[in-house]
Amino acid sequence: MAIFDTLSISGSGMTAHRKWLDAVSDNISNINDVSATSEDAFKERFVDVQANEYGSGEGGVRVAGVTFGSGEGRIVYEPDNPLADANGNVKYPDIDLGDQMTELMIAQRGYQANVTAISRATDAYQAALRLGKG
Amino acid sequence: MTSPIGGISSLFPSAALGATTGVAGTAATSATQAAQSTSGTDFASVLASSMDQLQSTQATADNLATQAATGDLRDVHDYMIASNEASLATEMVVAIKNQAVSAFNEIMRMQV
Repeated sequence: MAIFDTLSISGSGMTAHRKWLDAVSDNISNINDVSATSEDAFKERFVDVQANEYGSGEGGVRVAGVTFGSGEGRIVYEPDNPLADANGNVKYPDIDLGDQMTELMIAQRGYQANVTAISRATDAYQAALRLGKG
Repeated sequence: MTSPIGGISSLFPSAALGATTGVAGTAATSATQAAQSTSGTDFASVLASSMDQLQSTQATADNLATQAATGDLRDVHDYMIASNEASLATEMVVAIKNQAVSAFNEIMRMQV
């Protein structure tokens, strides 16, 4: 779009933050996944964002890809677990809930900031369209 | 002569003033030709291009509304932004139209 650019730019920011929220909620929902020590634990998801080049075409941000954390996990002694190995160990994903909550808050605030940018831009455009009406 | 409102004075070339003295219709047509031949983006093309843009934004918003109804919409904000944009574009075209109509009425009220 050419004329109301702010809306689509902030929209791309909202999409990026929505995907970040998706990744964080995915990490939190899988935080207690148990796996055998012989296989990889659940890998933490990270969203990679990149700026669209401003000036040439559209501005804003896009999700360039998703990277995964290590599958090494942490070894927990749970001999009752059916997945436990001979030594009674299982693997849990190495995800810190505190980190995820912090990321969740940052992503949510970023999403809200983009919403505010859109509503302020809308107000500004509407004020411009009322020019000359006294 | 430098005029503070050059855009208005260019609508009245000297040929039009000459037409009022004589009742010659040819002078009047030459005046309208002069008005049409003014270079740059004229009002009609601005209005036409904003109409085109309005149509495409409304088509996008309609498309996303259909997606929302069928459950294919991935991002809620995509639809909200598109409908917001369509409403802004409509406001803009209506504002342009209102200005055009008020300019026309202003000219029609002119005492000759």
